[in-house]
Amino acid sequence: MTGAAKYTADFTAPGLLHASLLTSPHAHAKIKSIDLSEAEKCPGVRAIVIGQDIPVLTGTTVEDRPILALNKVRYFGEPIAVVVADSEHEAQSACQQINVTYELYPVVNSVHQALESKPILVHEQLMNYTQVQKIQPEANSNIANQIKVRKGDIDVGRDQSEVTMTADFSFPPSDHAAMETRSVRAELLPNGEVHIHTSSQGPFMVKELISRYFLIDEDKVTVHTPLVGGGFGGKAAVQLELIAFAASRAAGGKIVKLSNTRETDITGSPGHIGLEANVKLGATKGGKLTFAEIHYNFNAGAYVDEGSDITEIAGLNCTGPYKIDHVWCNSLCVYTNHPYATSFRGYGHGELTFPIERAMDLLAEKLRIDPIAFRLKNTIKPGDTTPSQTKLTKSNIGNVAKCLERVKTLINWDEGQTVNLSDRLIRTKGISCFWKSSITPTDATSGAILTFNKDGSINLSCGVVEIGQGTKTVLAQILAERLKIHESKIHVMMDVDTQTNPQHWKTVASSSVYMVGNAVLRAAEDAIQQLCQTASIVLRCEPGDVDVAEARAFLISNPDKYVSVKDIANGYKYTNGNSIGGTVIGRGNFIMKHLTSIDKETGKGTPASDWTVGAQAVEVEFDTKSYNYKLIHAVSVLDAGKVLHPKSARGQVTGAMSMGLSWATREGFSFDKNGIVLDNQFRTYKMLRYGENPTYLVDFIETPQIDAPYGARGLGEHGIIGMPAALANSLSTAAGVPLNQLPLVPEYIWEQKRGEASDSN
Amino acid sequence: MIPINFEYHRPTSITEAVETFQQLQLDGKGPLYFNGGTEIITLLRVNQFYTNTRAVIDIKAIPECCYTGFEDDHYIIGASIPLAQIETMGTFPLLGKNCSRIADHTSRMKITLGGNICGKIKYREAVLPLLLTDSELTIAGPSGQRHVPIHQVFDQHMNLEQGEFIVQIRIPKLFLDVPFTSKKQTKIDRISYSLLTVSAIKTEQQIRFAFSGLCNFPFRSQEMEKALNQCQLSVEERITEAIALLPSPILNDLHGSAAYRTFVLRNTLEETIAELEGES
Repeated sequence: MTGAAKYTADFTAPGLLHASLLTSPHAHAKIKSIDLSEAEKCPGVRAIVIGQDIPVLTGTTVEDRPILALNKVRYFGEPIAVVVADSEHEAQSACQQINVTYELYPVVNSVHQALESKPILVHEQLMNYTQVQKIQPEANSNIANQIKVRKGDIDVGRDQSEVTMTADFSFPPSDHAAMETRSVRAELLPNGEVHIHTSSQGPFMVKELISRYFLIDEDKVTVHTPLVGGGFGGKAAVQLELIAFAASRAAGGKIVKLSNTRETDITGSPGHIGLEANVKLGATKGGKLTFAEIHYNFNAGAYVDEGSDITEIAGLNCTGPYKIDHVWCNSLCVYTNHPYATSFRGYGHGELTFPIERAMDLLAEKLRIDPIAFRLKNTIKPGDTTPSQTKLTKSNIGNVAKCLERVKTLINWDEGQTVNLSDRLIRTKGISCFWKSSITPTDATSGAILTFNKDGSINLSCGVVEIGQGTKTVLAQILAERLKIHESKIHVMMDVDTQTNPQHWKTVASSSVYMVGNAVLRAAEDAIQQLCQTASIVLRCEPGDVDVAEARAFLISNPDKYVSVKDIANGYKYTNGNSIGGTVIGRGNFIMKHLTSIDKETGKGTPASDWTVGAQAVEVEFDTKSYNYKLIHAVSVLDAGKVLHPKSARGQVTGAMSMGLSWATREGFSFDKNGIVLDNQFRTYKMLRYGENPTYLVDFIETPQIDAPYGARGLGEHGIIGMPAALANSLSTAAGVPLNQLPLVPEYIWEQKRGEASDSN
Repeated sequence: MIPINFEYHRPTSITEAVETFQQLQLDGKGPLYFNGGTEIITLLRVNQFYTNTRAVIDIKAIPECCYTGFEDDHYIIGASIPLAQIETMGTFPLLGKNCSRIADHTSRMKITLGGNICGKIKYREAVLPLLLTDSELTIAGPSGQRHVPIHQVFDQHMNLEQGEFIVQIRIPKLFLDVPFTSKKQTKIDRISYSLLTVSAIKTEQQIRFAFSGLCNFPFRSQEMEKALNQCQLSVEERITEAIALLPSPILNDLHGSAAYRTFVLRNTLEETIAELEGES
């Protein structure tokens, strides 16, 4: 670690102007008036933009969100106005001089409240919004989208069941809390070119949306993304870029910088979705699952953004990695007056796994079957179908049972789920399985371009954003492996520039190695073909007689006869000066295949190319008197297909586990009765710190995914998925009461214990 | 970023500090004495409190404020000594322990003892050991310097006259190494605001108790101490009596409900009493 890395907000430019946001102090209110007269008089102010100046609605699924609040505010922290000034403090001071009058509306403060009959409406014009993707809103309600999954016959499944369980589960919305707050610089040049520098996971999406909403030809828009200081899905949403562009345009196109304060990053920009769920599971006495009836009501907050896709994938994968023939699921995307949600590490899977894996433990308890044994009886396998009726194959899914067996050993399950340490302290273990697929557009695409330096070293250009996940290292490894050269000879461009780098859908969904890795392999093939072509002339043979490895193009029949790659990669020059060939440019691309849209009545379809599976465990030390606890061990075993970079794979999984434990133990917005977020600063919004972490154990098994580079499956998000459920299962065992809500703070455990005590009185 | 401009003064003597304050006051600049500055900076940044401040007077360059050592029967700690330093000094272990649980280490390098006990924040756990040990404060102001028992100037908040600041804290030597406990519980994190802190010392006569995070302010209550020291009663009865004597309602906020705080308070008092009554 040198500290030399530069992030978006680290850069400055001559004449840089600064923007500051005024955000809503209310969760739901009519904007009666906005008086800018005092603010405009403030020193240094160049421009002020409010919603009415840019009355366009935005959204990647449904266009429901104004760039700046229009007519009303729908959540605490919603941007209302942006002030551009010569300096940051002048912009901030002027913001305080904007006088907004509000008429307060009643607040939709929970999913439950949003779904009441005759609810307060967050969006009155729901049915009139432009749908970018087909979604199913319900008139006069807060339901923005509904996914129905109908597999088999739920009545048959009920008839077959001998033991059933039902329970409610929930957790509040929370934040991504990336170390780098979101930051943008925007500039509109006199020739009409737009340059956006942004800490984004989706620079190509930013380009598309700036073009769409501001009616600018796409070729005029270039988006630049340097290293990104953590995103976790939160920087895949496009929000500040639109405000910054509007601010620059209002200030005569001058370059304008807009960086979120931590407070605005937490509530103003989109966060992590909340959930209220009900799960019913049934099984035979022998422990075979017969049906699942599931309600997922997602708290998308004030605007849909990715909320509807999260709702969809959670519905389509609703059961977790279990074979269940009869599945009924309604997954709803619900508007509330909470900060809006976007993609978050795990994308619906950590969310669905918490209720499902808690339900599995509750049913195992009723069946009096060991929780691991119960899961092993029901794990999904090649040949089975998912809830969306996709057929699973040896390639598109890994081995759940093998992961579970390995976790069982690593957590030392056989010593007992509970171990007494003293009259107060006990240690307990909990487990969880998981699966995850990514819901990508059916035409998501990526590209890779290779060029050669004079010394034969290679430049790799692609559209993946480097966000700490290390994809670019793995891409260099993939290319090095294919060309049989050392990876130090491969230079991957770190920054992304949408004008030069080939398109990559978005740096999300643990899919970059799969998508861009495949593109890199094709680019390598393309480059090899061109090198063989030139080499065949030099070596006086057919291109098919030549192969490339270890920086040489050589005769397959006699590898001692070769020409160095460096001597042909930019053309071959004979001793008399004549030259042939020309510079080699390797091109490769990738597009998702065989994905289909989903039937709206049954959910039938193929939403994803593959499912990564795994199993996890958490062991805690629990104080039976105070209900305080310590995290002792956390275990993950993933079917990685093929581990390409052991250290970074372990790092990704461990980081995700830490994030999952942080979410499960302490993260979650606290709202007052008016929908105000009480913990919008790190003073009160707490995350797991070093020293509070357990010992992490990460292991992999390898069932190759045949169409992935060297068999490697996505694993960037997955460590988060089962952590909340494994922890809740462990603590429920320890406390002897079901703990079905997050975050699992000691007070919540105390409440449940107290509830149990008063129930039995 | 702090959007307003303010002056920064750094006097090197007590007199200079007091005079500077008076002048800035006359100039209408709403001056504040400034120690570690963590609270002023973070609250000004979000436009809460101190919003009329247009000048601060940093007292950290005043030698007396940075002094530590013994004087007669007292151990002296300058008001500008950072919590992180007190944590490592070891002379007054109870204070060191309380200081070690305030904020995070980076902040404790900045937060000073004087600053913590004068702050707006409701916890101020550093004051508990001072209340328990009947410490004195050296206060400087327009009318000169004075030694004052902390109980005279601290009632829920530090009540200083305009233009006054704390120069030093004077802790009676005899209390430095008495048996003590100090238990802080948070909502869940090691580093966070106090759900409840109970600090206690055992003197020859009795156990003394002081609390933070329980009510809207830190306090020591003679009435509660009396109740908690009734050795003829069971511990549970003493605790019930003491809870009835709380000086104000138990906090009910995002760190914990009043009912849960009561549960934690009972457990913590029980453990404190068991540990200190067990001490011979």
